[in-house]
Amino acid sequence: MDSITTAASVVAAGLAVGLGAIGPGIGQGSAAQGAVEGIARQPEAEGKIRGTLLLSFAFMESLTIYGLVVALVLLFANPFAG
Amino acid sequence: MASEIVENCSSHDPLLDIDSSDSSSGVKTDEYLELQFRVFRLTCLLTIFSVGIAGFFWGTQASASLLVGALSGIFYFRLLARGVGRLGTSSKIVGKVQLLVPVLLVLGSSRFPQLDLIPALLGFLLYKPALIIQFLSMP
Repeated sequence: MDSITTAASVVAAGLAVGLGAIGPGIGQGSAAQGAVEGIARQPEAEGKIRGTLLLSFAFMESLTIYGLVVALVLLFANPFAG
Repeated sequence: MASEIVENCSSHDPLLDIDSSDSSSGVKTDEYLELQFRVFRLTCLLTIFSVGIAGFFWGTQASASLLVGALSGIFYFRLLARGVGRLGTSSKIVGKVQLLVPVLLVLGSSRFPQLDLIPALLGFLLYKPALIIQFLSMP
């Protein structure tokens, strides 16, 4: 792998993880805030709120995982390496 | 005065009654555990189905990679569920330890030639159809 490809892959990996984690991070924070407030207001609905939060977190965090996988593939299994 | 205090303490107050509060929180956690178990069961069913199809069409190595990915997906979901379960009680944030699972999966597939990357990633994402089915079947 030549040096330009290596440098571009490293920069792209950083951007993929960094930019890909911004949206899910904000979303997870606001979802957790809403869930904790909801549990504090309605403790009897804790199980349902936690379940919905778990499903939402799993969906949101998969976006981070996509960026992470792209970054790891670029770093360790680069398809552009000659 | 003292007898009045003793009488108040011995009366059935739901806020002071540890057993009753434990049982109600047990019902709530039971609901949460039941959801986790339903997703786990659906993921296992999808895993068995997908591993069978992959083994039939693409061979043993692809199905083994799919199985490893699916197992790591189940482990990831278990870690995420544990983090969400702790939120608000013993922890103020949801941990990010579960993100190590896909990292280790990709690193393992780049290190070991027996583990294919694409089937392993597809197997890892098998928990998502289970989540979608679960989400659609929620009342």
